[in-house]
Amino acid sequence: MKRLSILAFGFGLLLLSFPAAAQDKLVVSIWGGSWRDLVAETVAKKFTQETGVAVEFITGGTIDRLNKAKLAKGNPESDLNFTTSHVGWLYANDDLYEQLDLSKVPNAANLVEQAKISPYHVGTWAYVYTIGYRPDLLPGITFESWADLWKPEVKGKLAAPDFDPSHIIVVSALLAGGDAGQWEKGQEKLKQLKPSFKAYYTNDANSQQLIANGETPVQVILSMNAHHMIGQGVPIKLVIPKEGAVLGIDTIAIMKGSKKVDLAYKFINVMFDPAIQAEVATLKKGSPVVSSAKLNPEIAKLPGVFSTPEQWKSQAIIIDHKLRAEKTAEWRKWFAENIMN
Amino acid sequence: MQPQPFLRTFVFPAALCALGFLAAMATVLQYSLRAYVPGSLEAGGLSFDNFSALLKPLYARVFIDTVWICFLTAACALLVAYPIAYALVHAQNRLIKAAILIIAVTPLFLGEVVRTYSWIVVLGNNGFINSVLLKLGLIDRPLQIMFTTFAVVTALVHVTLPVMVIMLAAALAHIDPSFEKAAQSLGAGPVRAFLTVTLPLSTPGIIAGVTTAFAWTFSAFATPQLIGGGQVNMISNLVYQLGLASFNFPFAASLSVAGLALTFMILSLLRVVARPFEKFGPH
Repeated sequence: MKRLSILAFGFGLLLLSFPAAAQDKLVVSIWGGSWRDLVAETVAKKFTQETGVAVEFITGGTIDRLNKAKLAKGNPESDLNFTTSHVGWLYANDDLYEQLDLSKVPNAANLVEQAKISPYHVGTWAYVYTIGYRPDLLPGITFESWADLWKPEVKGKLAAPDFDPSHIIVVSALLAGGDAGQWEKGQEKLKQLKPSFKAYYTNDANSQQLIANGETPVQVILSMNAHHMIGQGVPIKLVIPKEGAVLGIDTIAIMKGSKKVDLAYKFINVMFDPAIQAEVATLKKGSPVVSSAKLNPEIAKLPGVFSTPEQWKSQAIIIDHKLRAEKTAEWRKWFAENIMN
Repeated sequence: MQPQPFLRTFVFPAALCALGFLAAMATVLQYSLRAYVPGSLEAGGLSFDNFSALLKPLYARVFIDTVWICFLTAACALLVAYPIAYALVHAQNRLIKAAILIIAVTPLFLGEVVRTYSWIVVLGNNGFINSVLLKLGLIDRPLQIMFTTFAVVTALVHVTLPVMVIMLAAALAHIDPSFEKAAQSLGAGPVRAFLTVTLPLSTPGIIAGVTTAFAWTFSAFATPQLIGGGQVNMISNLVYQLGLASFNFPFAASLSVAGLALTFMILSLLRVVARPFEKFGPH
């Protein structure tokens, strides 16, 4: 009998420990690798210092996490979610996000307009997809406009992401007098670029490897990747074409059904702390999304790092995020059928 | 009929697994028959559009390319693996035997991505092969090896090799060495004895190895994705490109179903073609 009582007591303690543990942490879903580390070492660290609440990360690819969130609808695995602006719209359209009340985020007062993506998700940092090239391997070639990618000298030297052709599709449409909504106008223009493509990269590591070993000396490249490789000693020149570079914004949102909404708002507030924003920009060489962030001049002058309203306005090509979410499949299919294969 | 006391115990977990796989397959099948709704994670109503879209020449070409790459991989793996398996079975020295076995199966212990990246280092413009050829003065500019069918097949043969070696070695080990000796004692040279005795008797191993290599290669993803660089595509790459990367899950599902159907067709065809050769095996 005594043994049974001890067992029951122990079992009771075990049951009690579950809700206690759940209260002690905020769960954040994010990509793995350097993205998780970035948030862990900046935002999460400060959040824990301020609230005493630990942050636990669930990591995975964009699609894996989206699928998991869909399966756990109403009872989410995480309280907050990081994803790209257009994929965020897929979450929002599927009713997976809470509507945000930015009055609970004092630091959001300085949020740049371009980071206010939807009533459900807001930008956390920005980057661009633009032209990056190896001047040492392409002597005499310069890139001042996206149109320069069509130069005959670029034939068989270009790489672009295989997971998202939206950048080059929209650029082609712009050069042909259209825009993202009238992307069909750029189809013929883009078909003319087909001989220039040597490969399509699958992920950041693949992009970095192909430009570092000179296999594809010109790329439509993520600015943060290019800056990382430059830091590693690879002689890459990153260009902001005269038409602008294609803006990308990673976003944060509160998962619908989260039981720690107040803590989630506090986390978002720390995310928009000007000092944290400057730190993130310094570490990743991206653009802060609050105008009050004070950047080191060495960082601020880098191509693809926007620190003034003028830069946001004149150097960024913004594809409407909702339109992009709706068009991604159509663009991807057209690109695969007409350019890649 | 002998009593089999553990049959139920062993069959039950296997049946559970089969049920799980069946449920997954049923889900894929029902997704393939539903419409894609732009901007939404939910699939729409019943639709055959996904399958009719597969009739475009592009998809037929990728399906044919996939079969061709699988065939080349299986054939090359057989050519490379057979001498290794033969040496493994006939080596007298235990150290040599162990060394051959370790070298042959090592690719299985490397992660797919790591193995593929190392091939990029070997086959790239500044890679090992081009560097050697340039230093020897045999070429004056790097050969374009990456993003070609040759490069993809080379990397796929590397990963298929261990399975092929093991299957061939198992078949060769079952051949009584006295058959070859008998042939030689009747005047056949070593080559003739091999061609007329050992090779035919190892046919079941060859068939099993080729079939396995073919089926295995059919689902290859990371190797054609990274080595092919979007220029050499197999069905799994198309599933990723058109379905998963653009959240068009119904179309990805229809590609998967079509790929699976093609695999069954090819394997059935291989079985029919191989049937006359099965009689050559040791009895």
